[in-house]
Amino acid sequence: MFLFNYRYRLKCILRDRQLMFWTLLFPILLATLFNLALSNITTAEEFIKVPVAVVENDQLDANPAFTTALEGTDELFAVQYTTRAEAEALLNDNQISGYIVFEPDLNLVVNQSGLNQTIIRGFLDDFLQSSATIVTVITENPTALDNGIVAGVSSRSEYLTEVSASQSNPDPIVNYFYTLIAMTCLYGGFLGLKEVVAIQADLSDVGARINLAPTNKLTVFMSSMLAATTIQLAELLILLAFIIGVLGISFGNQLGYIALTCVIGSLTGVTFGAFIASVIKKGEGFLTGILIASTMTMCFLAGMMYADMKYIVTTKIPILAYLNPANLITDSFYALYYYTSHTQFFTDILLLCGFIIVFSAITYFVLRRQKYASL
Amino acid sequence: MQVYKAFFRIIQKNRSQIAIYLVVFMVLALLLTNAYTPPQDTDFTKTRFNIAFINEDGDSELVDGLKTYLGENANLVDLPDDPQQLQDALFFRQVVYILRVPKGFTAAMLNGQEVQLEKTIVPDSPSNIYMDLLINKYLNSAQTYFAYLPGLSQDQLVDYLKVDLAEETAVTVISGSSHSANAEKSGYYFNYISYSLFAILILGVCSVMLVFNDTDLKRRNLCSPIRSATMNFQMILGNLSFAVLTWLVLISASFVMYGSYMFTTNGLLLLLNSFIFTLAALSISYLIGNLVKSRGAMSAVANVFALGTSFLSGVFVPQELLGANVLTIASFTPTYWYVKANNEIANAVSFNAGNLQSIFTSMVLVLAFGVAVLGVTLVLIKQRRVEA
Repeated sequence: MFLFNYRYRLKCILRDRQLMFWTLLFPILLATLFNLALSNITTAEEFIKVPVAVVENDQLDANPAFTTALEGTDELFAVQYTTRAEAEALLNDNQISGYIVFEPDLNLVVNQSGLNQTIIRGFLDDFLQSSATIVTVITENPTALDNGIVAGVSSRSEYLTEVSASQSNPDPIVNYFYTLIAMTCLYGGFLGLKEVVAIQADLSDVGARINLAPTNKLTVFMSSMLAATTIQLAELLILLAFIIGVLGISFGNQLGYIALTCVIGSLTGVTFGAFIASVIKKGEGFLTGILIASTMTMCFLAGMMYADMKYIVTTKIPILAYLNPANLITDSFYALYYYTSHTQFFTDILLLCGFIIVFSAITYFVLRRQKYASL
Repeated sequence: MQVYKAFFRIIQKNRSQIAIYLVVFMVLALLLTNAYTPPQDTDFTKTRFNIAFINEDGDSELVDGLKTYLGENANLVDLPDDPQQLQDALFFRQVVYILRVPKGFTAAMLNGQEVQLEKTIVPDSPSNIYMDLLINKYLNSAQTYFAYLPGLSQDQLVDYLKVDLAEETAVTVISGSSHSANAEKSGYYFNYISYSLFAILILGVCSVMLVFNDTDLKRRNLCSPIRSATMNFQMILGNLSFAVLTWLVLISASFVMYGSYMFTTNGLLLLLNSFIFTLAALSISYLIGNLVKSRGAMSAVANVFALGTSFLSGVFVPQELLGANVLTIASFTPTYWYVKANNEIANAVSFNAGNLQSIFTSMVLVLAFGVAVLGVTLVLIKQRRVEA
């Protein structure tokens, strides 16, 4: 009976084209769109040499130290030497972020405030301030001039060493894909919901027929849920393969733990749907609405529409982060990708297991021993 | 006007599904347009990065001086010294640079030994370059003082540095741009409209078409004593009024949020552009309405279409951040041209022949999309009637 029902439930689910669209094709489509839209965002964050023009005039020639200093910054600026008119034209066309002119004091001309302009200014300030330092030192200690202070200032030491926070890049884009997987897991709720509807005599004709059969309802239900979980897990793995293989999004390299998260996530989704269907006594359309609305709310809080939301919730209302299955699934992937320790990961997984147990228990207590006086 | 009335009765029946997209739009528009503050200003304002400053060394004037200096040029974010919390903050860009002053730093500096500060950064980012510049400058200047004025107390050093670092370059900002904050925000608002407009029109028109295209119902209607021309006229009127109504509802909030800006040339052009887009979207919805066979397929198509075109065309992510390939694909959708025109209108400080021509070209293209799709739909309907 168990296998018989399992086989037929698999077929039922696979032939439900609409269900397959929402639980498999829709996430794949969203992943593709995310990838199209977001792939350039990190590139946009990368530093590109600031285009800057320097106006050639007599005052510039009078400041060879400045030209030398500017030459030492070729990884910062793309410099071109022009006349003032050319510089102005370039600025108007936004070909350069600003131009530098001595008239006779150092002056920076820009057409807006911004990052590039701030960097140019940072460099110019640096030049002025270093000169000021030299002047102060020489006033206090005139012998410094003979001890090569000017040369000393231009050869600067590097005071910073980079320490990376983790083995992976802090790339917020991956979080969008993690929440997408969380969404897919919870969309597995559609499958759980379908199974509960199919076994409740007051919700579907199939349910009425099954209740008539001389079989243990728990056995039938377990095999139905197993079928739903099987499909859900398969869909999730297809999605994961697509995201990793085709889109090239990094999930870290702990494949075993990633698979574990997928299994737990699928179970959470399927039992979540079953829980909703058993607790709320309304038609399937209404249940679907509730499922979509709650999934979307949870995914929003986990950062699917706005990645910072996850951080805001985690820091401001941590309890909400721990009570949100979508966030827990997202966080599991995040922890695997980004953290060096596994503490956070196992906390998430344990909490998810807690949710699975609660959802299943409630579903079980609602479904068992139901009798229908009339249908 | 039975047909016209029936049209709106069907819409009424589907109002909850349609309302979802209205609510989504209002939330999106409110949240994101208010969250966005353009960095434009007439005076020069430095870009300030959010950084975390963690001091493991004891309190010393040198470290305090550095901290104060950085505080003047960046926003110091207070974060607990916990690896995971720091990692989180960096991942979500709450800070873009974490500076750690190691134990014994001051002593080493004073003795002229080589020391290093530890930084944790977003790789390849401008923030990294700029902060490096600031910190290295401070410490190099300090080093110069230590080297050439031996016996200088930390107090004096910090004072000297303060004076030196107060030197600033004169910055001239040349811009005739009186870019109002509303311009950028309203641009976003009108871009977002395209998503909801598409979803609502597809859902609304499809749900009506599904009813009217039902074979039995169609046969019944054809033998009713109403002329088919009258019936078609009422259907067209129904579609148009539904589209205009949706448009009015969606733009209404813009008057509340941007007030008189909506009556400037920019505002009026945005309204005109969105109206033209509404017509094109209606035409596409009408085609989909004639193709879709079931309610399930209807919501799938509405979602795929609204989300797909929005993502590709730069509604959610600005067009300049999208790849060239994506934009090429997107240029086959009216949304792309609509968004392009919106951005140009919002960015325009004054209107001249050049930018007006580009804006109106986009509008004409959107309109052409609408007409072309309508033509296809009419042929399709005609063909079906012949076959039936």
